[in-house]
Amino acid sequence: MAFFFNRGRSRQPADVVRSTKELLLRLQESPNTPKAEEDLAKQLSQMKVIVQGTQEVNTSPDQVHALIQASVQDDLLYDLSRSIHLLPFEARKDTQTIFSHILRFKPASYLDPKEPPKDPPVISYLVHHRPEILIELCRGYMQSQSAMPCGVILREALKFDVVAAVVLYDQSKEGEPAVRLSDLKPNLPQKGDGVFWNFFDWIDKSNFEVSADAFTTFREILTRHKNLVTAYLATNFELFFGRFNNILIQSDSYVTKRQSIKLLGEILLDRANYNVMMAYVESGENLKLCMKLLRDDRKMVQYEGFHVFKVFVANPNKSVAVQRILINNRDRLLRFLPKFLEDRTDDDQFTDEKSFLVRQIELLPKEPVDRSRPAQSQSGVNTAAVA
Amino acid sequence: MAEDMASRYQVMEELGSGSFGVVYKAIDTATGEIVAVKHIDLESSEDDIQEIQQEISVLATCASAYVTQYKASFLKGHKLWIVMEFLGGGSCLDLLKPGVFNEAHVAIVCRELLQGLEYLHAEGKIHRDVKAANVLLSHTGKVKLADFGVAAQLVNIKSQRNTFVGTPFWMAPEVIQQAGYDFKADIWSLGITAIEMINGEPPHASTHPMKVLFLIPKQPAPRLEGNEYSSTFKDFIAQCLTKDADRRPSAKELLRHKFIRNAGKPEALQELIHRKQDWDAGRGVSKDVKYYAESLNTITKPPSPEEEDDDDWVFDTVKAPSMWVPKGTDWTTLDEDENETDPAQLMADMHISQPPLPPRHQPNSTVRRTPVAERSPSTRRANTKRRSSGIKQPLGLDLSYGNSPSTVRQFRRVSDKAPSETPKVPPGFDENSSPKVASGEPTSKEAQLGHRAYSRAVGLSCQEVLSTTGDGEKREAISRLAEAWSDLEMVDPEGLYHIIRIMNEKLQADPRLNTMIPTSPQPDSPGRPRLVLAQNNPHLKSHRRRQSSVAEPNPPSPLSNMPGQNPAGMEHTKQLSDVLYQRWAEGLRNRWGI
Repeated sequence: MAFFFNRGRSRQPADVVRSTKELLLRLQESPNTPKAEEDLAKQLSQMKVIVQGTQEVNTSPDQVHALIQASVQDDLLYDLSRSIHLLPFEARKDTQTIFSHILRFKPASYLDPKEPPKDPPVISYLVHHRPEILIELCRGYMQSQSAMPCGVILREALKFDVVAAVVLYDQSKEGEPAVRLSDLKPNLPQKGDGVFWNFFDWIDKSNFEVSADAFTTFREILTRHKNLVTAYLATNFELFFGRFNNILIQSDSYVTKRQSIKLLGEILLDRANYNVMMAYVESGENLKLCMKLLRDDRKMVQYEGFHVFKVFVANPNKSVAVQRILINNRDRLLRFLPKFLEDRTDDDQFTDEKSFLVRQIELLPKEPVDRSRPAQSQSGVNTAAVA
Repeated sequence: MAEDMASRYQVMEELGSGSFGVVYKAIDTATGEIVAVKHIDLESSEDDIQEIQQEISVLATCASAYVTQYKASFLKGHKLWIVMEFLGGGSCLDLLKPGVFNEAHVAIVCRELLQGLEYLHAEGKIHRDVKAANVLLSHTGKVKLADFGVAAQLVNIKSQRNTFVGTPFWMAPEVIQQAGYDFKADIWSLGITAIEMINGEPPHASTHPMKVLFLIPKQPAPRLEGNEYSSTFKDFIAQCLTKDADRRPSAKELLRHKFIRNAGKPEALQELIHRKQDWDAGRGVSKDVKYYAESLNTITKPPSPEEEDDDDWVFDTVKAPSMWVPKGTDWTTLDEDENETDPAQLMADMHISQPPLPPRHQPNSTVRRTPVAERSPSTRRANTKRRSSGIKQPLGLDLSYGNSPSTVRQFRRVSDKAPSETPKVPPGFDENSSPKVASGEPTSKEAQLGHRAYSRAVGLSCQEVLSTTGDGEKREAISRLAEAWSDLEMVDPEGLYHIIRIMNEKLQADPRLNTMIPTSPQPDSPGRPRLVLAQNNPHLKSHRRRQSSVAEPNPPSPLSNMPGQNPAGMEHTKQLSDVLYQRWAEGLRNRWGI
């Protein structure tokens, strides 16, 4: 009788993993085999029940642990991560659920409050032994079927800075082994063809759903782990902002354009990125780009652009290039700004900020002042005006 | 590519306006299939586009016969098109217009909904806004859950949510109490929806939605009363409306309930659809069909010569190719007498899709003021950090779109341009509404100030305190106070003004209390807010924050490591601009919530 009751749960995790792996390999060889797809979907759905339980049945940590061990042993996660686009609809969602759960899974020994907190074992496994899985998950953005499930899994993994580090620094080509965490060389400038740099194209060239999801992940990478990103941006400043300006800010897609201007503001205004901000607002080219946004024909683009533009103007140590552009356009700006988005009457902060900018622009000297040199006796014009 | 996608759909008449966007009927020319296309104008939305993506991603991962099927989404200019399956029967709320449903119909709808909920819940999704308005029928009577605007995707099947969303009348007690809730919240809403279908309205429909929020947790759960209803139906509703969420049955369990097992075929619901059609015909409602017309502002157009702006920026280097280079203008000269055409203004003038100003409420109207169609895009997120202020309607649950109380995402602030607008009640509830009488147009200056004080300060303060109060009893007390202020504002704005004025004077007069009150800022300091701030004005918070950040004895000045920033004779300039800059950066950080 016991046999009867156990039917649903009789199969050991290791068996499920083995059958899943076999079916995956079969599907990779000959995609679109309905029989294999169907069988695979069944296996994955069983696996999902093991990691997630149901509303009635709780999970057993031992079973989950056994499943993870078997997956590592059979290298199942790698094959799974690169085959998501081949799976049927429900199986893709199940895969997403399985990954999300096992990425977070911590065995009881990890939860000892006396021990310092450790990353979950699967995270450590990924960054030290099988970073290729992370890279494959990113490449999920190359197919619309896999983009969203891969995005969800990635963002779950990117909660850990070690994962973000691998994604940022990996430069492996397809088929090559990816970089291990211990082999990262943060001080070496990037060539710009690693997996992280592909995000620019995925965001720019994909259809809306894929693009939007890729952007969400991109944003997560750049905003979650401050120290990591600050160092990365410092080392790769030109490359990064070159692409950011050219591909994202000037994207033809309204959403990409608007979201990336906003993200630019977030990156620049982050305390941790102070040096990055100073470098960015020093460049006349960046200011020009920004001033063009103020004249975009879409109001929300203008609005987002304003919030980057104001950083240039508010910076008390403007570079000569920036001063020159502002001074050359002083009269135009002073005519332009009062009318700029003037229907935002209920937005006091915006109005305040606008009048602050107007005042700052009025106070600009007649000629650019090079403040990085020892000061020559500068005229008291703006001094008096400020006082 | 996006343009190709758009041209694949031939858009026809308007079906209605949804939670944020207009829905059209359309034909997919590739398949000949009729679909519903929702157009969301992203330009009019300050929301994070990510929230809209969230809705799409919840929809896109649903594949159930009981959930409206998502087909595609893409951008056209600054409009997002979401293509969905077309359901010709209308919503249950529409079908209720000719009259209430009978028990047999309710049973069928409930069974179909339970199957939809069973699917969603197994997927780790909570709908969070189940109500008749969000239940759509196909013309054959198939029932589908719609509008996933506030649905939640749980990462973990057992995890809980705390967010305060939904529509007050349909909200489960545990959602209101924000003590953590799960799938069971949808079951409660289903029970309320069942009452709505049999009675024509949810319980407490005549009560102010704000008040409902504390009635639901406090009062015993609503029950269906009356001999005309079967005992199984009453029991079904009692099961759904179990206040203790742990003891409330799941969708799966309820599918085994006798009331549900005995329900008929969905085809029987066609009766309701026909009844509605007859009713429409009987009323001689010539369907006011609005056809889709591409609005000017979705067409990205190259600048025409007349619009070329001579006032464009002067950059002394070669222009990027993406710039329009006006012909015949000498770039190196600055001519002050140039044409002052402002492209932003020109564009604004072309926004033909902007809604006309809503009619102001009539003086001496005896019922509550009617809602206006206008809805500011900023109302969806309450504590949005982006705007420090703005006229925010106090304690208003936005009930303005369509003809049903719309969904609360957090607390909405209804920011209408008219500060005297009061919390809104949908027209359907007018005849039942509480006997408050709207005062006429404010005549005296005091009355106007009273309205303003209420909308700018009092209501907001109550709301702010409420949002930071967790304790149920305290919340209730605050809600009552807020309600009382709102009544006073409606009946006697002048009195309200006097109370505040006198209160202010008394506060000022007391030596200990008056330290709480900010002295008015120096008139000539440019960056300071010019408002005289009431103590409870939310501006004050940010004002104080700014001040304290300036006054901080040792601010971790981000500028201290800047090279050569101390030109001789300019020190005080530097200090000043540092202060300004810091205040500035502070504001920026608030904006991005960093």
